[in-house]
Amino acid sequence: MKFTIYQESRPGKRPNNEDRLAHCYSRDALMMVIADGMGGHYYGEIAAQIAVQGLTEAFQREANPKIHDPFSFLNRAMLNAHRAILDFTEAHKLDDSPRTTCVACLIQDSIGYWAHAGDSRLYVIRGGKVLTRTRDHSRVQLLIDQGVISEAQAAFHPDRNKVYSCLGGRQEPEIELSRKTPLEAGDVVALCTDGLWGLYPDDLLATALKRENLMKVVPDLLDQADARSGPNADNLSIVAVRWEDSYVEPGSGASSAVHTRTMPLGAITTKLDEFGRNPKYKTELTEDEIERAIQEIRSTIQKFSK
Amino acid sequence: MAQQANHALPAGYQLDEYHIEHQLSLGGFSIVYLATDREGQFVAIKEYLPNSLALRGEGDIKPVITDDHMPAFRYGMKCFFEEGRALAKLSHPNVIRVLNFFRANNTVYMVMEYEHGRTLQEFIQKNRAVITENFMRNVFTKLLNGLREVHSHKLLHLDLKPSNIYMRNDYTPVLIDFGAARQTLASDTPMLKPMYTPGFASPEHYHQRELLGPWSDIYSVGASMYACLAASAPQAADSRAEKDRLVPAMVRWEGQYSDQLLETIDWCLCLNHLYRPQSVFALQKALTEPVEKPRPPIAAAATNKKTWLDHVVGKLKGKAGPK
Ligand SMILES: Nc1ncnc2c1ncn2[C@@H]1O[C@H](COP(=O)(O)OP(=O)(O)OP(=O)(O)O)[C@@H](O)[C@H]1O
Ligand SMILES: [Mg+2]
Repeated sequence: MKFTIYQESRPGKRPNNEDRLAHCYSRDALMMVIADGMGGHYYGEIAAQIAVQGLTEAFQREANPKIHDPFSFLNRAMLNAHRAILDFTEAHKLDDSPRTTCVACLIQDSIGYWAHAGDSRLYVIRGGKVLTRTRDHSRVQLLIDQGVISEAQAAFHPDRNKVYSCLGGRQEPEIELSRKTPLEAGDVVALCTDGLWGLYPDDLLATALKRENLMKVVPDLLDQADARSGPNADNLSIVAVRWEDSYVEPGSGASSAVHTRTMPLGAITTKLDEFGRNPKYKTELTEDEIERAIQEIRSTIQKFSK
Repeated sequence: MAQQANHALPAGYQLDEYHIEHQLSLGGFSIVYLATDREGQFVAIKEYLPNSLALRGEGDIKPVITDDHMPAFRYGMKCFFEEGRALAKLSHPNVIRVLNFFRANNTVYMVMEYEHGRTLQEFIQKNRAVITENFMRNVFTKLLNGLREVHSHKLLHLDLKPSNIYMRNDYTPVLIDFGAARQTLASDTPMLKPMYTPGFASPEHYHQRELLGPWSDIYSVGASMYACLAASAPQAADSRAEKDRLVPAMVRWEGQYSDQLLETIDWCLCLNHLYRPQSVFALQKALTEPVEKPRPPIAAAATNKKTWLDHVVGKLKGKAGPK
């Protein structure tokens, strides 16, 4: 397998980042996952973490080096994550179960398989156009499907954030499975949370991700998103892969591409920020941060008291 | 959720370099103390102590924070720091001065200059006769100087109301309680949910926080001015949005204050944020315009609803639309 992959999450203008994302690959399979913990509760980020971690752990156990039955794997792993969140709720006696959206994609033999619950999206982009994307499990998407409102109207609809399927809720999630989708070299598969897709119509996103150097294109896109988002901007997250397979584009970005051919059969590489390690992902202040915050306030007081 | 009240630190307790005199107030999120510093100067010290997360028993010094509550407690602390950060940057006669910030007893403390006086809330209850046209214009023009300073640092207060405006004995107002920063941070954490005083928060506070701006504080200023005249809070914005029963200031106090002042209050209280003064400066301009003499009240007829409306509509027609 050969591909270029980039993932990044930004808090937007929110104090907390409740998005979680990860990717991992073996010699013959790649998995990407993204989860958006549901607001209204700071445990949302724990739900998202449980989901993402659950899926990566399942991948690590079962990709040797391929996943035997991709759809059944995705479905099972997501349901398990759902139950793990409920267990957490139970164990901590929370009144309100934290919830999270989740979209996960597996690629092996240059075929994409994905599953989702909620309104985090997956796009397959080919030649600067959206080849296919997930349909959100949201009330507005239903309204769009019924022709009641247009995509453009949906962007401002008061219910645009209401999802009817997610992991961790009281109801069993509706996990929607994709079709088997053969990928061509140059295809981009992008998973992102609503903080990002909410800012771009499909075609703009597709055009932006068309350019070759993903390692530059995606951070640029996030910079732009940061700039155009409002004062209350949601967390923005994306993991995108440019599927290159055996086609080597001379020059451009070749150095950042991943070749898995030489990986040992049992090896798995994972990129997942551990809970609490990434400063952006903190729910809690550490002792250090408390000290720093106090020092900062004190020195500001000093500075302005003259 | 039923919440227990917290116990304050005892009088005489030595807190860092300060000597606690007594408790000044006990809120849901903090306790404020009167204390003296090394030089014997009075200071006010605010202790972070959300009573839903940290409880101090009678006679205890350190509050009990269970492991379950620790993450939320720390998160709230972050919000308390925001308040400190916001205030530390501001150095203005109409904004409370922060003198120090420190950690003790498993929690954090903010030391402020102690102001002699009382909250505007208390003041308007006890000094009805003082609330004249001049008083209103003076107090609010000065208060707006402070608010301008806040806005110029790209901060919003978001919790302006008579109980968060302190009146010095010389009748100069001071903005206290910047729980605001905390509100924006904590609004999605149920245990730390800010408690709005209904009546002072703008409509966008409730459901459209992305629309919050200087005009939101301006709504609260308008509501505070209205409360000064009425001696009680105006109808809450969310219920006004359903059925607006707020009698316009221009109708309610016709003849007792200048039309221009009353119109300005109504202008601030527009439900649509776009129709309000968009900046403190615009509002200050309105408040410093020369005062016309209040016209004598129109007796009896003023209670007739039709006449009210005709009257107001007549006046509005004579005015340019909102800017
Ligand atoms: N610097 C000060 N000087 C004199 N009195 C003060 C000072 N700061 C606060 N107070 C008194 O303490 C009361 C409460 O202060 P403040 O409004 O800051 O906190 P609060 O509303 O109780 O707190 P919270 O909303 O954070 O729980 C004020 O109404 C005032 O009477
Ligand atoms: Mg207060």
